[in-house]
Parts: sequence; structure tokens; C-alpha cells
Amino acid sequence: MAETAPPAVKAPVRSHRRPSRITGRAARRAAVRLATSLLVFWGALTASFFALQAIPGSTVDALLGNNDASMEVRQQIISDYGLDRPLHAQYLTYVGRALLGDLGRSYQLDQPVTGAIGAAIVPSLQLTAAGLALGLAVATALALATAHRRRAVRSISSGVELVGVSVPVFWAAILLLTLFSFRLGWFPAVGGDSVAALVLPAVAIAIPVTAVLTQVMREGLERALDEPFVLTARARGMTDAAVRLRHALRHALLPVVTLVGWLFGALLGGIVVTEKVFGRPGLGRLVVDAVVTKDLPVVLGVVICTAALYIVINIALDLFYPVIDPRLRGVS
Amino acid sequence: MFRPRRSTLAVLAAVLPLTLSACGGDGAGGAAAGGGAPVQGGTLTFAVNSEPLALDPHTSPQDVTAIFTRPILDSLVSQEKDGTIKPWLATSWEISPDQRSYTFKLRQDVKFTDGTPFDAAAVKANLDHIVDPKTKSQLAASQFGPYQDTEVVDRYTAKVNFERPHSPFLNVLSTVFFGIHSPKELAKGPAAQASNIVGSGPFLLEKYTAHQSATYRRNPDYRWAPPTSSHQGPARLDRLEIKMLVEDSVRYGALTSGQVDAILAVPPSSLRLAEADKRLKVDRVPVGTYSYFLNTTHGVFTDPKVRDAFRSSVDFKTLVDKLYFGAFTKAYSPLSPQAPGYDKGTESQWGFDAAKANRLLDEAGWTARDGEGYRTKDGKRLTLRWPILKALDRESRVTLSEQVQAEVKKVGFHVDIQNVTFNEYLVKYGKAEYDLLDYSMRADADSLRSLFDTGNITKGPRLTQNAARYSDKEVDGWFQQALASSDAKTRLELYEKVQQKVIAQSVVVPVYVQSTLVGRNAKVGGITFEPQGFPLFQTAWIGRG
Amino acid sequence: MTAPAAVVPEVTAVVPRRGVRWRPGLWAAGAFVALVLLASAFPGLLAPEAPDAADALRALQAPGGAHLFGTDANGRDVLSRVIHGARPSLLAGVGATALALVSGTLLGLLAALGGRAADEIVMRLMDVVLSLPSLLLALVVLTVTGPGPLPSVLAIALYTMPIYARLVRVQANVVRRSVYVEAAVSLGLRPSRVVLRHVLPNAFAPLVVLTTIEVGAAMVAASSLSYLGFGPKPPAPEWGAMLAAGQQYFAIAWWMAVFPGLAITATVLAITAVGRALQQRSEGRPA
Repeated sequence: MAETAPPAVKAPVRSHRRPSRITGRAARRAAVRLATSLLVFWGALTASFFALQAIPGSTVDALLGNNDASMEVRQQIISDYGLDRPLHAQYLTYVGRALLGDLGRSYQLDQPVTGAIGAAIVPSLQLTAAGLALGLAVATALALATAHRRRAVRSISSGVELVGVSVPVFWAAILLLTLFSFRLGWFPAVGGDSVAALVLPAVAIAIPVTAVLTQVMREGLERALDEPFVLTARARGMTDAAVRLRHALRHALLPVVTLVGWLFGALLGGIVVTEKVFGRPGLGRLVVDAVVTKDLPVVLGVVICTAALYIVINIALDLFYPVIDPRLRGVS
Repeated sequence: MFRPRRSTLAVLAAVLPLTLSACGGDGAGGAAAGGGAPVQGGTLTFAVNSEPLALDPHTSPQDVTAIFTRPILDSLVSQEKDGTIKPWLATSWEISPDQRSYTFKLRQDVKFTDGTPFDAAAVKANLDHIVDPKTKSQLAASQFGPYQDTEVVDRYTAKVNFERPHSPFLNVLSTVFFGIHSPKELAKGPAAQASNIVGSGPFLLEKYTAHQSATYRRNPDYRWAPPTSSHQGPARLDRLEIKMLVEDSVRYGALTSGQVDAILAVPPSSLRLAEADKRLKVDRVPVGTYSYFLNTTHGVFTDPKVRDAFRSSVDFKTLVDKLYFGAFTKAYSPLSPQAPGYDKGTESQWGFDAAKANRLLDEAGWTARDGEGYRTKDGKRLTLRWPILKALDRESRVTLSEQVQAEVKKVGFHVDIQNVTFNEYLVKYGKAEYDLLDYSMRADADSLRSLFDTGNITKGPRLTQNAARYSDKEVDGWFQQALASSDAKTRLELYEKVQQKVIAQSVVVPVYVQSTLVGRNAKVGGITFEPQGFPLFQTAWIGRG
Repeated sequence: MTAPAAVVPEVTAVVPRRGVRWRPGLWAAGAFVALVLLASAFPGLLAPEAPDAADALRALQAPGGAHLFGTDANGRDVLSRVIHGARPSLLAGVGATALALVSGTLLGLLAALGGRAADEIVMRLMDVVLSLPSLLLALVVLTVTGPGPLPSVLAIALYTMPIYARLVRVQANVVRRSVYVEAAVSLGLRPSRVVLRHVLPNAFAPLVVLTTIEVGAAMVAASSLSYLGFGPKPPAPEWGAMLAAGQQYFAIAWWMAVFPGLAITATVLAITAVGRALQQRSEGRPA
């Protein structure tokens, strides 16, 4: 089979011959990319920090509400949070500590921001991973089943995809929850830690993801199916299913990688509303609550963490894209 | 407005003086019916509707903190639902003739679950901890009033001194906000109390997971339940789990689908479904009153006629009945009916009368109407500014406010419901830039002072709870007399007069009497309630099958 | 999920689509868009009642004769509120998209034509915006501005802006380097004139398509923010806010949440379908 394998499969072998050049180029590109990314990261941090300072009202009042806290307690809080220091000093301290991984203390939660985010990010990552896996699996199956099929099949599929992109996630989530948890009792609604409780929210956030991925993958598949190597494979008597699975699918997955940035945002946006609907703990709930109560350290912390995550993902992609798609190796 | 329902709440607690004062009040002292005969063992899973911000009740003002920590912490004294104070960790006490010192004799057989013995030094450590600025107490310290110090007279005798008489002391001392921690654990500092609480109570905390749940194990050595408890000795349950399920529909769905055994706050809209469901039981525990406070110093409500016109123009009884499906009832006084000191006379003091509302507005000079049908005076529209925090809505209060908006429009009021951010809310609160604010408070006569005493009008940087900005020399005098009086009956009579007067002057519009609706599976029995309405699990059991 | 449709044009720009002609569906979509436009222009014509006609005595009536979509917890006619809700929802979608289009186009042109430094600064700023997930960025904006329809529009516009800026920049670069523009410049035309006469019109065609599709995504985003409690103030009818209120009553009055949800879905679906049809047409001819 090796002699008839498509060029894409052979390529990695070729790369072994000149590893140093590739690594060198990749390293240089990574360095540039890293520098720009740090700049972007600093920009996001600074913009958020000063934007959030522009809010009217005293932070201590936000901390205390109109509880009958004594002046001593007010003073204790002011000095604990360094609120009596000038803004630029607060900014420099914040940046300095952030670089060391200390994002300050939450105004509302009586714990460090890193702790709050650390605790919230686990259920959110579980949900995101489940939603992404579900979306990829369903989209792959749908794309394989519908690519280059009769017009009617594709029309129906496009219609379904269109509905998938148009349904607001929170509405789908409410309907799913009511039907499958409360009416039918198939899945529990509660239990941040149980797998069964993950099913419905994962389905909710997977809906738009699936709709978009199916479309992208089908187009990739259809292009791949028109390639000469597919003809060769068919000529060798491979079944249609085998051709789709063994040869075309790999090509179809490539454009999906370019969507990772969007997927990241879409899934994160999805969990914000889904966590509210299902009352799940997580990053979404954390940030919505923090916005409502002006818990600035938490809002800032989440901003910084997601921006960093986004940048890391993109750098990783930049580095690994040539590995996934050998055709890009010649391009600088 | 809204009583905090999620993690944000401590802050809100004041805007919404929920746990204002944990004294007085009443509650269903008896065991919840049903559940058959008491059963030993098993695990009970209970779901609450908000999240504790701070786990230490000395720090937090939140109801939910009380619920999470009452299984762990005992108090020096206990309270009957009629307000009578009974012993608990203290076997007896004496009040000095000048009413500035309380000498407590303590039980000698109590030990904390970490092995530390309970004694007078532990009492001193706890009371001093409440007023330590590092504790950042948002409720207990202010309830402590003019606390001076605690003396360890001997190993089992503690003397608490005040700078001047402070009559509400024993009431607040009975609440979990004055619960007694293990002094060994307290010494570890506030960071330790953020995730672990150790006391002498019927349960000990195994694991606390923020935003999710707390799990507890029975304290097998528990022999010191208060005389107010219907069950003496260790708890019946082996284990207890309290989950945080903030979303109403999720919490109720978790109950009906058997994912939890009992829940706090059955959504009123689901009450009838729950009552019709044979597998479920609902316990109603009156806890407080939700009211509108009218700004008496700024804007249109400075005119008492306009205030009276506003409350006369709404048929609150019909609105409350329709909107809450019988879960809540119309309120007449800022105190709820079962609270000691409730003045029944307020029930005939005011009511719905649209004709009167129109007449009063005419008399007040709001005679012209603009194109949209709203009344005007000197070209100015009769507008009420009503700041709300929609994202923290609970008990369908935004829906209710929209209904009130539609009702008062009929007599010519324009209600501007302003959905604001939390900071804006506090800014408006501090600067009195509102005509109406809504919040709920626990039933408790002493808390009337926070709401209507001149000293509690916000001035300067510190926000205080007299949202109506009401100031009346006679009422202030009654409060002073009550504070200095050791006689409960005299105090309650003074508070009745306060209620009469604030209703007569239309300073506050009581809207509904809040009940905690505890929904439970029929196999769950024995959940009892403190006078403040907090559930107690020492008495609870869960049937098998 | 805030901008699922946003990605579609980017993807399809990379991968040319094969024609999916779906005539009857497209007609239905067009008709529905027209209906929504009519409802937002003249809600009074279509709605049987005022959207704020509350009456506690007729609360939570099931859909039927007097009230086709039932009544809500305040006894208001749900159909009337859905119809009156078209305007704020559509305004949010169109407003946010228009704002993003204008600002994004200007920034994109600046990046493409303003020299290397301008290009770097603008595109790095866009990177900053893009490094934050859409809904999170919107929430940060709302933390500063406070809730309301206008802040929501600003927030949504802010995070869709980079999509336009990038698209315009790429298009402008392509057009600028094309043979006919180089010819125009070599013939002595002033660069600014070239931009106005040649670059902008040519970069514009794909923008129109993108814009149409983005309106739908922006509507979903606005309703999400409204659902989270950051929308217009009561008693304004807005689909996301109605849905949030309806969720509390879902067990006993499904119609309160189902109809506003259907309205959002159908409107976004119709607008997106029309947008995609436009897209296929525009891709049929050379850019």
C-alpha cells in the first residue's frame, strides 16, 4: 500500500531528511510570534485594567454594600486591597504580581482569584471538551454521510446546519433540560462532577459547533474526493466508504484546524449561558457573577487567563500546522 | 433590592438587609410532619438557592452561610419561637443591675470535634473574634453593639461586658452568627475559616467545595442539643450533603426527579405542582417581609400625599395572590405576622383605593396630564425612579415590579424601572437618587431600628439601611427606650408604636410576607426550623425506599 | 454562543462553495424577513394589544382563542410582545453590525493603505480584541458601561469589528496590487483617488454579504446578553429577556419561553439564509 499512498502521507518521511532547517525556521517564526503575542497579551491586560477602573462608585462600597461594617472594617479592607494607593502604583503592582501568577484576591469570594478560577475552570474544561468532542464526532459522521451525495440529501443537511447556527444556545439548553431531565428523567440536571450530568449541557453547546464544522468538513471532503489520488484508490477497487474514511477524511480535517480560534470563542460563549441555564459551576457563572457585582479582580483574572489561553493555542497551532499539513512546509 | 441569591451576595445583603438581625422572629419550631417514624442512618441531600461568600458566620451576613454552618456550630443560648431565651452551651446566666454585664455559667461536658474542650476561654476567643477588624464582620459585629470585652471568671464562667445596655444581645447570641467555633481552629486565621469550620455541633464538615457543595458526617459524641430541639443526642442521619443549585428551575427539577431529597425555596410558580405531587411535601416557614421603601427626603415622595397615593393605587392583595400562587401572602407591616411585636392594627390602616389615590394626587397638585396619560405638575412628569439589579432577580420581583408599574400608571404615575449595575446601585443609594427601593428583611422587631432610626440614614462614606431616609424624633425616642429596656413586653409595645407611625406616614409599603418553602421527598422527615427560618438537620431523618 | 454565523463567511471565503439552490426555502426566508421588518416598523398594525397591557387577573393563560400565544405572568399578550419585540432585537442586530462595519472598514483601510506602522498598530489592536472570546469581551464592556440596549450594541460591535477590519484589509491589498490599480497609479492618478474609485467599491461586495449574515449572529448575541440580565429595562419587550422570564415559569407555562425562542431562531435563520443566497451570487462573479 505504501507505493500508492497519497503524497500527504509520504510527506512526513521526507521531513526527516532535513529536520534542522525546519526546526530553525519554526523556531524563528515562533520567536516572532511569541513577541507579538506578549504584546497583545499586555495590551489586553492594560486595556482591561484601565477600562475597569473607569467604573463609578467606590470599590469599598461595592465590597461592603450597605452592611453595617464599622469604619475599622472599612479601613482594614481598604488597606488589604491596596485601594488607598495611586492608580499607577496599583497597575504596576498588579502587572508585577500577574507575571508571578498572582491575580490578587476576589472582592466577593473571600479567596484568591487564581484559586477561584482554578476551581471554576475544571468543570468548564470538562464541559468544553465534551462539547467539542461531541461536535467533532457528529460533524465528521454527518460530513462523511452527506458529501457528494444527491442534491436532496445535501439540501436537507444544509437546512439542518442553518437551523443549528441560528438557534440560541440558551434556548436549546432550556428545551433540552426540560424535556430530557425533568420530563423524561433520562439525564440528571445536577452534579458538577458526574458524567451523566454533562450530557445535556454538552449537547447544547455542541449544536452550533456541529453545524459549522459539518459544513466546513463536507466542503473539505468534497474537494478531497475530487483529487486524483481518490480516483487512483477507486480504480484499485476500494469501496466508497473506505475511500472516504482512509483518504478523504484527513483532508477534510485540515480546515477545521484553522477554526480553532473561533471554536474557542464559540465554546466559551456557549458555556457562559449554558452554565447559567443548568446552574452548573464554572468559568461562565464565575464571570457573570463577577460582572454583576463588579468583582474586578475576578473579571480581570478571567480576561487574562482566556487571552493567554487563546494566544498559547494559536502559537501551538502555528508550530504544529506544518506538521499536520506537509504542503505548508515549503512555504515560509 | 433583591436578596442575594448567588455568590455575590454578601454585598447585597445590606442593600437587602436580609439577615439584618437575627433575633426575634418566629418560625415553625416543630418537626415537619410526614416521613413516617424516625429512622436512624442514611444520607440526606439538601439543595439551597445561593452560595456562601464567606463560610464564617462571624464574617458573613448571608442566610445561606447560616444554613451551611448551623450543623457545625452551637450557640451559647437557644431561642423558642415565641422569643423566649433558653440555655444551650450556657446553662444559666445573670444580668447585672446596670444591664451592662452578662455572666454565663457554661456546660462542662462539651468538646469540639477536633478534641478541644469547650470552656470560658473558648467563649472569649469567639466573642473577641467577632469584633476583630481582621474578621471583617458584616453583620455580627454590628449586632454586638457597644461590646466591651469578655472576662474569663473561672474555667466555666464567662462575663461579657458592654459599654452601655444593649437589650438585643441574648437574641442575637442565639443565632449561628454568634456560633462558637473551636478556638484552636479560629487561631489559624481567616484564611482557614474560608474553607473549613470546626465546632461542637451535631455534624462535622468533611469537605467544602465552593460553588458546589458541602458534605458532613455525624458527630457521634453530640450530647448537648438545646432544650428547644425535639430530639436529644447525636443526629439521626449518618451523612448530610448540602448542594448549591442557584437556578430555580434546576433546583426544583432536581427534587422532582429524585436527584436531591429536599430543597430550600420551592419556586412559587411550581408550588401547586409540588403540592399536587404525592411524592412531595412542602413546609412553609414564614421568615420575613418584602417591602418598598419610599424616599422621604428627595423627589416626589417627600410629599406624604403622593406616598399615600402610590400605595393606595395598587391592589397588592390581588397581585400577590396571582403572582405567587398562594405561596406568599399580602403584608401589612414591615414585620411579618408571626414575629413577636407584630402590630395587627396595621392590617386596617391601609389598602387599595384608586379613588383615594386620584384625590390625593389632585390635592398634591399633580392635576395635569401629558400625552401619554401621566400626571404632571408645573410641566414635570410624576416619575418614580426605581433602581433594580435585574441580573440578581429572585422571587419574580421584576415581574411584580412590572405589574406595579402597570397598575400605578392607571392613576397617572410613571415608574422608571432602572436596571443598573451593582456599583451604580450603591452610588444611587448613597446619594439618595431614587424614589423607591425594594428589599426584604427578616422578621425581627429590633431590626426596625436599622430601617427607621435617624442615625441609620446614610451620611458620608458608610451606607446604612434606612432607605426611606425617615427621620422622626418621636420614633427615635421609642428606639432609645427599647434599647435600654430589659423588659421584653415594654420593648415590643414600643415597636408596635413604631409600626403604626411609619405606616400612617406611608414611609414603607409592605408587599408580601416571605415564606421559606422547603420542598422534600415524602420519605424525608424531621427537618425543623430555627425561629429565623433556617433548617436544622440534627432532628432530620430519611426513610428507606 | 454568540457569533456562530460569523465564521461562515470566513470559511466559505477560503473554500469556494458549490451551489446549493433551495428556492422554496429561500422564498419563505425572504417573506419572513419582510414580515419581521414590517413588525419592527409598525408593530401596532400586527399586534392585537399593547405590549405592556398587564392584567394580573388573566395571567398565564394558555394559547387559545383570545390569546394566540397565551399570556405571560403579568397577563400580557405574548403574541403582542413577540411582535413588539421585533424592533429592539432587529435594531440590536442591525445597529451592532452597522457600527462594526463602519469602524471595521475604516480601520481595515487604514491598515492596508496607511503604511507599515499603521498596519502593525491596527492589526495588533485587532489581535487584542480577538484574543478575548466574544461574549466575555461583551461582558467586560457591560461591566464598565452598565446594562442596557445601547451598551449591548457597543459591546457586540466591538468584537465583530476585527472581522471587518481584516476582511477589508485583505481585500484592499488584493485590489491595490491588482493590475488595473497599478495601471491607474502608473498613469498618474493620485493614490487617494485610486482608493475611492477602485479599492473601496471592489472590497465592498463581500462586505455586504458578510454584513447580512452577521446581523443574525448579532441578534443572537444581543438576546444572549439580554437573557443574562443585561438587556433593556422593563417592561420593554425583548426576545431574550422574555425568554429569561419565561424560563422561571417553564413548568407551568411553556408558551412564555417557547414563542420568543422561536421568534429569535426563525428570524436569524431567515436572515442567514438570505445572506447565504446573496453570498453564492456574489461568489459567482469575479471580485
